[in-house]
Amino acid sequence: MKASRFALERPRDLEEAGALLAGAGGLAKVLAGGQSLGPMLNLRLVEPALVVDVSGVAELRRFDHEGGTLVIGACCTHADIEDGRVPDVGADMLARVASGIAYRAVRNRGTIGGSLSHADPAADWLSALSALGATVEIASRSGRHRLAIGDFVTGALETSLQADEVLAAVRIPMVPETARFGFVKHARKVGEFAHAIGAALIDPERGTGRCVIGAIDAPPLVFPDASVLFGGSIRPGFASEFDRSVADRALIDAGVTDPVARHVHIEILRRAVIQAEGEPLVETRAAA
Amino acid sequence: MTGPRTAIKPEGVGARLPRREDDRYMRGRGQYVGDVKMAGMRDVAFVRSPLAHARIRGIEIPDDIRSQVFIAADLDGVKPIRAVSGLPGFKVSEQQPLATEKVRQVGELVAMCVAPTRAEAEDVAARVVLDLEELPALHDMRQAREPGAALVHEHWGDNVFLETFVDIDIASAFDAPIKVSRTISTSRQCMSPLEGRGVVAHLDRRLDQLNLITACQMPHIVRSGLSECLGIEEGRIRIVSPDVGGGFGYKGILLAEEVCLGWLALSCGHPVRWIEDRREQLVANANCREHHYEITVYAERDGTIRGVDCEATVDSGAYSAYPFSACLEAAQVASILPGPYDFPGYRCRTWSVATNKAPILPYRGVARTGVCFALELALDAVAAEAGLPPETVRLKNLVRPEQMPFDNITKKHFDSGDYPEALTRALAAIDVEAVRARQKRGEPDGRRIGFGLSIYCEQAAHGTSVYSGWGIPMVPGHEQAGARLTPDGGLELRIGAHSHGQSLETTLAQVAHEILGVSVERVRLVHGDTAMTPYSTGAWGSRMMVMAGGAVATACKELGERVRLIGAHLLQAAPDDVRLEAGRVVGPAGDLSVAEVARVWYRRPQDLPPDVDPHGLEVTAGYKPVRDSGTFSYAAHAVVVAVDPEIGSVEILDYVIVEDGGVLVNPMVVDGQILGGLAQGIGTALYEEMPFDVAGQPLASTLADYLLPGAAEVPAPRIDHMETPSPYTQFGVKGIGEGGAIAPPAAVANAVNDALRPLGAELLVSPISPRRVVEAVLAARRGSKPNADDLQGRRDAA
Amino acid sequence: MNAHVRPPLKAPLSLTVNGRSVEAEVEPRTHLADFLREELDLTGTHLGCEHGVCGACTLLVDGEPARGCITFAATCGDAEIVTIEGLDDDELTAELRAAFNREHALQCGFCTPGMLIAARDLALRLPEPDERRIRIGLAGNLCRCTGYAGIVRAIRSVIAERRDRGIAATVSERPLGPVGAHRPGASPRSAPDRREAASASGIPASAATSVREFTPAETFEQRFSVAFPPERVFALFGHVKEVAVCLPGAFVEATPSPERVEGGIRVKVGPISAAFRGVANIERDEATRRGRILGAGADGRSAAQGEVRYEVRPGSEPETSDVVLTVGYTLKGPLAQFGRPGLVRDVAARLTAEFARNLETRLSGRAVEAEPSAPSGLNPFRLVAGLILGRLTGWLNRIRSR
Repeated sequence: MKASRFALERPRDLEEAGALLAGAGGLAKVLAGGQSLGPMLNLRLVEPALVVDVSGVAELRRFDHEGGTLVIGACCTHADIEDGRVPDVGADMLARVASGIAYRAVRNRGTIGGSLSHADPAADWLSALSALGATVEIASRSGRHRLAIGDFVTGALETSLQADEVLAAVRIPMVPETARFGFVKHARKVGEFAHAIGAALIDPERGTGRCVIGAIDAPPLVFPDASVLFGGSIRPGFASEFDRSVADRALIDAGVTDPVARHVHIEILRRAVIQAEGEPLVETRAAA
Repeated sequence: MTGPRTAIKPEGVGARLPRREDDRYMRGRGQYVGDVKMAGMRDVAFVRSPLAHARIRGIEIPDDIRSQVFIAADLDGVKPIRAVSGLPGFKVSEQQPLATEKVRQVGELVAMCVAPTRAEAEDVAARVVLDLEELPALHDMRQAREPGAALVHEHWGDNVFLETFVDIDIASAFDAPIKVSRTISTSRQCMSPLEGRGVVAHLDRRLDQLNLITACQMPHIVRSGLSECLGIEEGRIRIVSPDVGGGFGYKGILLAEEVCLGWLALSCGHPVRWIEDRREQLVANANCREHHYEITVYAERDGTIRGVDCEATVDSGAYSAYPFSACLEAAQVASILPGPYDFPGYRCRTWSVATNKAPILPYRGVARTGVCFALELALDAVAAEAGLPPETVRLKNLVRPEQMPFDNITKKHFDSGDYPEALTRALAAIDVEAVRARQKRGEPDGRRIGFGLSIYCEQAAHGTSVYSGWGIPMVPGHEQAGARLTPDGGLELRIGAHSHGQSLETTLAQVAHEILGVSVERVRLVHGDTAMTPYSTGAWGSRMMVMAGGAVATACKELGERVRLIGAHLLQAAPDDVRLEAGRVVGPAGDLSVAEVARVWYRRPQDLPPDVDPHGLEVTAGYKPVRDSGTFSYAAHAVVVAVDPEIGSVEILDYVIVEDGGVLVNPMVVDGQILGGLAQGIGTALYEEMPFDVAGQPLASTLADYLLPGAAEVPAPRIDHMETPSPYTQFGVKGIGEGGAIAPPAAVANAVNDALRPLGAELLVSPISPRRVVEAVLAARRGSKPNADDLQGRRDAA
Repeated sequence: MNAHVRPPLKAPLSLTVNGRSVEAEVEPRTHLADFLREELDLTGTHLGCEHGVCGACTLLVDGEPARGCITFAATCGDAEIVTIEGLDDDELTAELRAAFNREHALQCGFCTPGMLIAARDLALRLPEPDERRIRIGLAGNLCRCTGYAGIVRAIRSVIAERRDRGIAATVSERPLGPVGAHRPGASPRSAPDRREAASASGIPASAATSVREFTPAETFEQRFSVAFPPERVFALFGHVKEVAVCLPGAFVEATPSPERVEGGIRVKVGPISAAFRGVANIERDEATRRGRILGAGADGRSAAQGEVRYEVRPGSEPETSDVVLTVGYTLKGPLAQFGRPGLVRDVAARLTAEFARNLETRLSGRAVEAEPSAPSGLNPFRLVAGLILGRLTGWLNRIRSR
């Protein structure tokens, strides 16, 4: 189980990376921590001519606050977020998601930008960041632009990234103190890819919220206005108003034909909602 | 709880001695086959069939790599692997080391590619193009039994390796007031030792000998098999099995890869290496456990079993594996299904069926895990039907201690034990009443509590009388061991079997210490090398401590007697007045150490008695228990689970094991075997499954798909030991290596069913995945509550 | 024997291994564990899965545990690597070794080096000897022998003992970003292997030449209406080249008879590319206005079967038609065995939808334009090159038809 041959470049900055990618005519893959791409290379599921390793690019390994937005460089690792070297957008929100990803040895190299670019529907960041209303910043030689996660991820393992583009940063709005975050994933084993993910960011005081059903073998199903799940409005005690039939209809529309799968997806979202309401009904698996 | 008896000697039988093999492993200095390097060595990668069943029309090899690629036509004189059983009606499969006309499973070897590194060998393999004409694939063993099914081996006319039938007065049970029938099955698994297979082969020109270093459990058997396939005498083959990263049955087979690399090393003039990668292990090489049962139990209202009637099918895969054959599993089903129970009526029909899947191999527990699952689930169904607690049904039917030794309905000879006591202790330890009370209260989080039991007895270390009846290529006879004192007073033990985690480097030293008193520190175990050890059928069947332990003890006794006689002479005492004690020869007026005797034998022979035994201080002795029908260790497992019916997750809250392995040589090591077996049993119960699609494609090619339990998934059980000695073995030991893996699937399934019974759901397939639980719960809701919420009651549930 | 094998492209690499500077030449594709094992003879780092799950290859990179099997050596310039062999004199590891031995925390020993490195990390970071957190923290290190009981006991005892001695839990300081990834420049970089692309010639000649009946493992249905009468719509389905134009990635090479077509399809699922070449049979029934294109293809390692069924019915308005399109496929080979069939399904569903859209466009008399976002990635150069470079070993498929 050895990768097929590829050439490796380690650009110093994004400009160099963009030039290398543009010059490779679509035959290149961007490598960050390599924790998703590495297995696919070893399995020869992916056989690029050129691998552009951006893990050393300084710009990708920092964070910043811009107004009410936390900007995380794409090559910050899950462990950086878990350990608090990268700040959080609210009380134990990003850190909790990060600490549940795979295993510590993977989190020490796996990056937030790499995970999003890989666009595996079962991955944690895709669902969590969709709920948190994050956008991504994309860099290419022609400049930079931003996309909402929903526009960035176009399908299972598919993103809008063009051949010469690199995901440079993830921009996450700081979460107001009145808002609550729930994140529940259903996996058969600790560290396994999820079979269902529920994420909810709900602000009962403002009556706003966003809910996400992830790990449906397609981009996450986002309820940008979650009030539809609670009878039309979000009030304190919202969890008891959770309307399974709305979620069920949305899943059917999203092509989830299997009723057993739908049942579990809805239940996991329900538990994320209960968690957001503040009841620690479901113990999430705090990682060591 | 009562622990094992205290060892009489600090390093002898019964001592919790820390392991002597640990240090090299903990420093990364173990030497596994993948660690072996040889000058000029080249790597091999195989081209494997992507299809489950196809005719080979052509193999295209680009000219520039033709010299690096070998196909069947290149392998002059190599014969197919044939693992024949002598049971009447057995049909023989021939497995070509490299496929010739047909491929019969995904992953079957088609071409062998050689290059300086594995990566380059894979590059070469990637350029070989197979032209295959696909044939209908058999992925379902029951369909494979149907008339008109596609044929794995055309000339058979059907797909049945072997059919067996036994009827012992089942008709007498037909008038029983309770009759419970169930369809129960265990899914196909991969044994998944952490290290895969691997082979390094080279030709020793001086000895004109093929040296094959291979990660295996049975080096002498591999030598015999290779000799047959390569057509060279056994003396020209030396098999070395180095440190091996776990076996569990997976490494108890002659591999086509071993034959290929053996041929290559003889032909090409340089060492060659093939290291199985995880994808090869999962999709191409041996699987296990796939059983299907149609079982009916007849019983009285008080739970007394009147009879058990069963049809069992085992998916044996495409080829009969050497040496255990394609029929061992199903043949065992018929003989051990009655378990630890005593009842008068029994009928069992079995089929070993060929399909387009990897060959099945006996995995830890072999058929016992499957039959325990079938019978114990059926007994819980009987209990539910009779309105009795599950323990009552067991206690009614378990063989009682006063019946021991006991010949059961299939003539299995249970050597000793108190089965009801094991169950009673387990019930007390887990506190059934408290569990029932908690269950009645309900859980605040909506999960449901369940309590499950299972109990089994495990025939282990069974020998000639059992295996000769099966007529497979390997029949164990006397197990042999060598014991030799070295001139400096050390003791070398030699066994033909192999230790790959079982701790024999420690435990056999304890056995030697028990007999000779030589410090464990001074004992070395030589194993895993056909050139340096006596013949053995190897490590399988929970037989190592009974057989190799017995052989080491026998050899040490004889060695000790020789030491004693020399010692008597040196002490100038009459032999009858001299005894061997704690490593010293003790006479009426003095003593001397075993080491001093050794020094005299080797370095001062002039001091020896004139009538000294000329065989000296080196003994090879053979051993068989008084009866070779096997020891019967047994255990009762009791488990409490919490089942989440909405998402299907199962958490194990408490787990108790009460087991009787006879006299324990090293209780720490025995606990380790039970704990490791339990973890694998939990894998069978809840996680592990190799699914196939209708085209015979295996669907789990990585460990992200084939789920092995991790530390968070495995419970920390409480273990209680009973120690009823076997009347037939040295020290009274019984084999215990496999037992831990036998009972957990049944115990966990019974607990899940206990939790879900009020909902009307019952799970009869392992593993009990969240998906299966939710499916069963939703189906039950649909059936029992027609007006149930539409969401939870969709009729199109998969 | 290897006269025809091109020498691998190697690039210089300098890093520190167990405290010693190492200068080496390494192929970019060589992972760190192979580099240590094969080049430096440090065989204590074991390979159990080579896809990041089992943890046997866990080692320390810049002081933190990382996977040796999915970290490429060439990306570790200037990194500090410590393997199990480098921990002989490490005080904490010595405590763990004593505890592992006492608690029978190993049997076959294969997982042990990686397990000790994971254990060491937990002993440093966990504030308390909490059994649940230890078990979760060990999730990335599989042991098949011990049932973990002794391992957990050993780690608990070491943590408890160290905290009793006043040694607090720590998370070490470190820069942001993947451990081991230092600023490039220290190690010279290799150039892309342009020869690969230059030697490109096409899809392998071997392909299925016969088509068998099959039951698709996956099917997708799409319905749409067009403002043309059924007979015209049905006639267009008879032009297989027209249909192929609408199916992203499909190409037609020959139509030896009205019932038979030769060609292939190239598809892409995320980073995975695949291509199948073969034949398809065409069935049409004028009376019912139903048809089927049934194809089979192979790429040498994998095989695929696919079918496109269509039915043209009169629409609700005169001179209009309703089209029911069903696309089905079955995959065989490495891609079928890659246990995430749902991901392939998602791509196939989108491809089917696009096929339907294109057909609708075509049937309406307009030309089909390849959309830039087409999931099958229709940049021909990219596809062809991807095929060649892939040499078609691992594969996915999807539909075939033409």
